[in-house]
Amino acid sequence: MPPPSSRMTKNRPQPTRYRPGKAEVADADSEEESSDEEEEQKPAKAPAPKASSFPTQKKLAVDLSKAGQQRSAAPTVPVKTEDEDLAGFVTASESSEEEDGDGSSGEDEDADSEEEESSSDDEPKKPMLAPKFISKAKRAQQASNGPTAEERAAEEERLRKEKADDMLQAQLEREAAARAAGKKFWDDEDIAPEDEVDDTDDLDPEAERAAWKLRELKRVRRDLLAIEEKEKEREEIERRRNMTADEREEEDRIYIEAQKDDREGKGKMAYMQKYFHKGAFFNAEDGDQDEEVQAALNRDLAGARFEDEAGDKAILPEYMRIRDMTQLGRKGRTKYKDLKNEDTGRWGDEMGRRKREFDGVDERFRPDEGGRGGGSERTGANSAPVGERKRARHE
Amino acid sequence: MAHQADARRHLDERGYSGPLIHNDNPLKLFEKAVRDRIVDSYYWKEQCFGLNAATLLDRAVELTCIGGTFGVGQKPTPFLCLAFKLLQLTPEREIIEFYLGKAGDEFKYLRLLAAFYVRVTYEKDEDVYTTLEPLLADSRKVRRRTREGWALTHVDEFVDDLLLKSRVCATTLPKLNPRTFLEDEGRLEPRESALGEELDELDAEDGEGEGEKKVKDEESSGDEGEAEDGSADGRNGDGARSEEDIKEEDEASDESMDGG
Repeated sequence: MPPPSSRMTKNRPQPTRYRPGKAEVADADSEEESSDEEEEQKPAKAPAPKASSFPTQKKLAVDLSKAGQQRSAAPTVPVKTEDEDLAGFVTASESSEEEDGDGSSGEDEDADSEEEESSSDDEPKKPMLAPKFISKAKRAQQASNGPTAEERAAEEERLRKEKADDMLQAQLEREAAARAAGKKFWDDEDIAPEDEVDDTDDLDPEAERAAWKLRELKRVRRDLLAIEEKEKEREEIERRRNMTADEREEEDRIYIEAQKDDREGKGKMAYMQKYFHKGAFFNAEDGDQDEEVQAALNRDLAGARFEDEAGDKAILPEYMRIRDMTQLGRKGRTKYKDLKNEDTGRWGDEMGRRKREFDGVDERFRPDEGGRGGGSERTGANSAPVGERKRARHE
Repeated sequence: MAHQADARRHLDERGYSGPLIHNDNPLKLFEKAVRDRIVDSYYWKEQCFGLNAATLLDRAVELTCIGGTFGVGQKPTPFLCLAFKLLQLTPEREIIEFYLGKAGDEFKYLRLLAAFYVRVTYEKDEDVYTTLEPLLADSRKVRRRTREGWALTHVDEFVDDLLLKSRVCATTLPKLNPRTFLEDEGRLEPRESALGEELDELDAEDGEGEGEKKVKDEESSGDEGEAEDGSADGRNGDGARSEEDIKEEDEASDESMDGG
């Protein structure tokens, strides 16, 4: 724990300014603190080069291999037990125990002291062997000794790598098998299995040949029909050209009546029925349209009724006579019903009614309704039934 | 032009300088939406990179279905991806004819792929008809992937669709003059059906013998066991009966074609 500072701040105490008239207070604490901190930093820095400096080749290599391991065999790495971990790890103290006290021991000790620090760093990383200095004499001895700790560690490295590779191999094989078995992956939409439709040929050559003949015949017939149609049209045109005007009119009349009959066959628009017209664009003849599509587009709309719709809106009260029943009861729907109701004109009532004389005159200056000279007044406030006028009114 | 593995230059519409089809970048024969789906699909990215005409053959023989896009996300079929690749490569006529002919004999999906390519790229109408009509004799079964499921068709049905419909396999086919138009102009001969003589024999069955038979001579020989009653040559004079027959047959044919 750093020495508690009485100032409660981490700022370094600045040298106090000279203020004339004030006695300079030399704080023993502050001085000590500053000196302490400086000292700490230096020792903190100083050992650093001894400890790690640049990582040795071996350290690097091991790190890389470990990284690879982790990626490929992530679930399997924790299989190693602690004993295994520690097996390849040789502490500097152990290694130094092997040493015989020699003239080289002095150097070794120095090296040891280095390695002690480095080994304390290395303990979490496995397998880490602290590089140990061996003099030439010792090296010769080592070579004859056989596999050293380092080599053992390297072997275990290899074993671990092989294990990881095997796991990876097994995983890949499993995936391939799953794929082969037809398991679905996220991007594979299996609407229906492919085997639904069998496209093997020559299951029944006779039937297939017969089917093909049928198709071919239909194609041929289709072509012939098309030619015939064209011929018919040409003939029709010729025929009409050769007829007189009267005959043409006769034919047209018959055709129009036939159309009317057809239209009557269709449903009639009910009172205030909702009308939906798809538009001229969709009415266009499209030879390629599916029959179903064409049937759908050419539906009889006037004859269509909703299930819930009142059969005849004329029997409903006026409030419910709306074209779109979903708007019933809603605020803001327009009260517009149809043109006829909203029209303020009189629909041909006025033809030949007014006296010609007063035609151009404004409404206000026209005489009252003519032809009712002494007739009873049917409009206005006086239209209540009134009894006979009493002739004599003496009072 | 040198074979470029990633062929990015084709997809970039700005500076395209390769062969033109219908006066435009061949890739534009597919609509933008479909193009995007193809290029984003895994099949394209994995399998269609750096293909040339020979390696495309390897992919094509592995095909098991035809179709356009399917599913909610409009996934393209491998067939469509390979067709797109063919458009990118624009191989020569001989190669395409080889695909259609010899190689197609063995691998029907390759033949269909080449037929699709022919319909989409050949500029002269007559060439399209003359190249594709021989395929109408091929009756092998074909598995087709529809938008939601599978369907069974045949090679000749697919070729027929190519010649008549305007949209096949998620592409709008370039406009093709109808055969009658070409025949009138004299650019084409009337079609020789693969049935040939058998057609004559069938016509002989026609009960309404009166009226000229338009096309074939009458031969009285046995029938082939087909279910066809009445022939297409029923004329106005034959009245309502032939019309009815034709209507019945239309319905029957519609029902059976719905499966296709």
